[in-house]
Amino acid sequence: MIVAVHPAAERLLERDGPLAHLRAALADAGAGCGRVVLVTGEAGIGKTALLRQLCAQEPACMPALWGCCEALFTPRPLGPLIDVAFATGAPVANAVERGTPHEIARALLVELGQRAPGVLVLDDVHWADEATLDVVRLIGRRIEEAAALVVVVYRDDELHRSHPLRIVLGELARRPGVTRLKLEPLSPDAVAALAEPYGADPVELFRITEGNPFFVTEALAARGTSLPETVRDAVLARAAHLREPARALLDAIAVVPQPVELSLLETVAGETDEELEECLGSGILVAQPRAVAFRHELARRAIESAQPPDLNLRLHRAMLTALAASPAGEADPARLAHHAEQAGDAEAVQLYAPRAAEAAAARGAHREAAAQYARAVRFADALPSEQLARLLERRSFECYLTDQFEQAIEAQRRAVEVYRELGDVRSQGAALCSYAKRVWCAGNTAGATQACWDAIELLGRLPRGRELAQAYGVASSMCMNDEDAEGTVAWGTRAIALAEELGDAEALLYTLNNVGTMQLLRGERAGIEALDRSLRLAEEAGLEDHVGRAYIHFAWVLARNRDYALEDRLRAGLDYCSEHGLDLWWLYLQTYRARSLLDRGRWDEGADLLEMVLGNPRDAVLLRTLALAGLGLLRARRGDPGAAEPLDDARRLATAAGELSATFAVALALAETAWLSGRQETVATATEHAYRLALDKHAAWVAGELACWRRRAGLDDEAPAGAAEPFALELAGRWEDAALRWSTLGCPYDAALALAGSGDVQSLRRARDELLRLGARPAAAIVSRRLRHRGVKGLRRGPLAATRANQGLTARELEVLRLVAEGLQNGDIARRLFLSPRTVDHHVSAILRKLDAKTRGQASATAARLGLLEHR
Amino acid sequence: METYVILRREGWRTAEELREAAARSATEEGRVPDDVRWIRSYVIAEPAGGLGTLCVYQASSPEAIRRHAFAAGLPVDEIVQVADTMVVRPDPVPAAA
Repeated sequence: MIVAVHPAAERLLERDGPLAHLRAALADAGAGCGRVVLVTGEAGIGKTALLRQLCAQEPACMPALWGCCEALFTPRPLGPLIDVAFATGAPVANAVERGTPHEIARALLVELGQRAPGVLVLDDVHWADEATLDVVRLIGRRIEEAAALVVVVYRDDELHRSHPLRIVLGELARRPGVTRLKLEPLSPDAVAALAEPYGADPVELFRITEGNPFFVTEALAARGTSLPETVRDAVLARAAHLREPARALLDAIAVVPQPVELSLLETVAGETDEELEECLGSGILVAQPRAVAFRHELARRAIESAQPPDLNLRLHRAMLTALAASPAGEADPARLAHHAEQAGDAEAVQLYAPRAAEAAAARGAHREAAAQYARAVRFADALPSEQLARLLERRSFECYLTDQFEQAIEAQRRAVEVYRELGDVRSQGAALCSYAKRVWCAGNTAGATQACWDAIELLGRLPRGRELAQAYGVASSMCMNDEDAEGTVAWGTRAIALAEELGDAEALLYTLNNVGTMQLLRGERAGIEALDRSLRLAEEAGLEDHVGRAYIHFAWVLARNRDYALEDRLRAGLDYCSEHGLDLWWLYLQTYRARSLLDRGRWDEGADLLEMVLGNPRDAVLLRTLALAGLGLLRARRGDPGAAEPLDDARRLATAAGELSATFAVALALAETAWLSGRQETVATATEHAYRLALDKHAAWVAGELACWRRRAGLDDEAPAGAAEPFALELAGRWEDAALRWSTLGCPYDAALALAGSGDVQSLRRARDELLRLGARPAAAIVSRRLRHRGVKGLRRGPLAATRANQGLTARELEVLRLVAEGLQNGDIARRLFLSPRTVDHHVSAILRKLDAKTRGQASATAARLGLLEHR
Repeated sequence: METYVILRREGWRTAEELREAAARSATEEGRVPDDVRWIRSYVIAEPAGGLGTLCVYQASSPEAIRRHAFAAGLPVDEIVQVADTMVVRPDPVPAAA
């Protein structure tokens, strides 16, 4: 799509810095280091104009691939990429038509790589559908491998708190090779320069426009006696200069939030060549291949908003009719649904919105699907109740997939009501099961359990069917979350038997998941088979949320049981959830991964993940609780400030929800932080409730860890039977064995804490060294005190030992040194670590100096000899 | 953004090393203006020889400080959050740049 540049916008003021930034990124891309630049700023700030300028000045990147997102309330899935595919042809077009986001991203990067450097611009991404966002995220992850520059343009003022683009930006911003470019409004001087040829008052102009370039050009082009007060006024004033027929044509075009195909225009407005010419000449519209569009969305909105309601209605109706009859419309129920709603045509909405929803869901654009179902529900007055209930259930499901939990619960609740009024007990029971699941996700365990029992009671009155198998499955799931093994198995057995009898794959795999997870939580590794089988069945059936749930449970077990052999499943889960747009599931996996990194001593990595998770506001209570507890604990372990607030928040959330794993996580975090800060006396009360629960549920790892904290805090409890091995060893006073076990598991902090319980000076020294190496200041201080009590003097400060041990090399220098030892040249090192080649040269000089080496070879040899090449 | 004091003890052997570190610190800080802002540093002559610093930063979180430190190759010994600042007299003029 090539948009003509308006004459007034040719000269871009105060954009040299941003242009230089983009040129540098382009140069990097040309050298084989792919870059993503996130260009942002308010509406009308000139983001698109900037990129046009870049393409015009840099012939190397022509022709760039452009994809624009539409200002539709419910955009077409993959809209901008369909545009791009049109320009590239196969294989990108094939991928976009049939492939997963993974495949689309790969095809795009290959295509871009062939143009070296390839440039892809995605415009107005704040309006992007979910499927497009998935592709953007995947491109961001692989950009370093491609000789490509991808520019993502969006309005930061359109991003509300839980906008889906935020999660993508959050992830992208942390990746190497991704930079952010924010465009600022024009200065008063620039505005004055623009105003001069028109003889307009620069001060007044700046006051009204606040330096917004679009507003400035519109205001100047309005050519009125006084300056317009708003953008809307400016646009309307410019449009007022058009003759009546052209103005009417402008109105017809204004109701379409995307470029209007010329063929479509002919159907709606007849022969309008002259009027079109006039509109194009005025600069309000711009020409595109076989279509016309407004120069800027702001202008379109201004024109549409000025239309009297009956005119607007008529125009939408006309557009709806024309579109329905055209090939463009056939392919695009989303467009039709939009016009149908604006035209107030309930029948048309019922015809197109559900279709649009299904199409969106099939492409993984679940937000759009949810919105389309909502639209259908809004226009459902004349709809038979049963159809309404089904729409509500679909909406609830899509909302659940996009973690809009409140909306999901409300829609499902209404569905249950409708079935009840209809007297359709079977459907009501099934809907109650879904309701139970939704409500549980929102943290209301009591409500969920109640709904589940209600469903079983209702369905029990009828001949046994799939719905009852589902209900038994949900019951087993409630028990599993409560870590009630007997209950899980009891309900699970019933569910599996009935499911197998009826051939209901979904109920079967759902229950296998619950049973397998429960087994794993109890330490029975055979549970892996059941969970794997559930995963496979779900993948085969394409039941994405069930697949996601299976992966989450693997992650839960990995973190809980310190079973890092399950890591490959965690990674597979992250890939799957990423590809299928399961954002919330992906965040859960990252949270469990962060906890496991914390346990394995990789604190920086864990911290980054937790910050990312917490930076994405989500309704999912459990997710938030786990992440907050993790962050608070990490800060407490390091002795960093800001440990108290996240832990307090976590405690409040856990208490309110009453959910078991949250209760455990919080109790453990509170116990440790109390011990670290010397407030032993609070450990008893902080852990009492959770400890009883853990013993009750035979939660070996939790009970063991809580017992250890209580022991370390000086409480004289009896050691619980069945505590997980490393804890049991410590409780039995076998500190060395415990430490060894922890080391084998890969948990250095726990190993050090175990050793710290020993009375032996050597062990205490080792514990202290390890704690200092990890950066665990408070724990190290506690161990130092114990050493001093035993008469040990002259304890060296940690960092000195560490730095000297590394020959004074910094962390960054060590990274570079390792790559030097692998034989990489500076250019490759720069690419690998995302530094400039000059910085790498700098580091290499410093390394040679500190190691007293003359060549890289000598440095590598010295490093190997000193053991600097081993990773921590 | 909160204000923090960061202790970097015994991080460098010579003034030259410290100057290089300062340059790296400034470069890295420039990349992430919303994450960290370097306010000032006091250089410490360590009893064991070598140099350390006490730095005042504004940052979005303690983790942001650690990220910056890693990128710039600086040690972080302790991070303390500043609740309030009471300036009684201006800083003494440094003896050398």
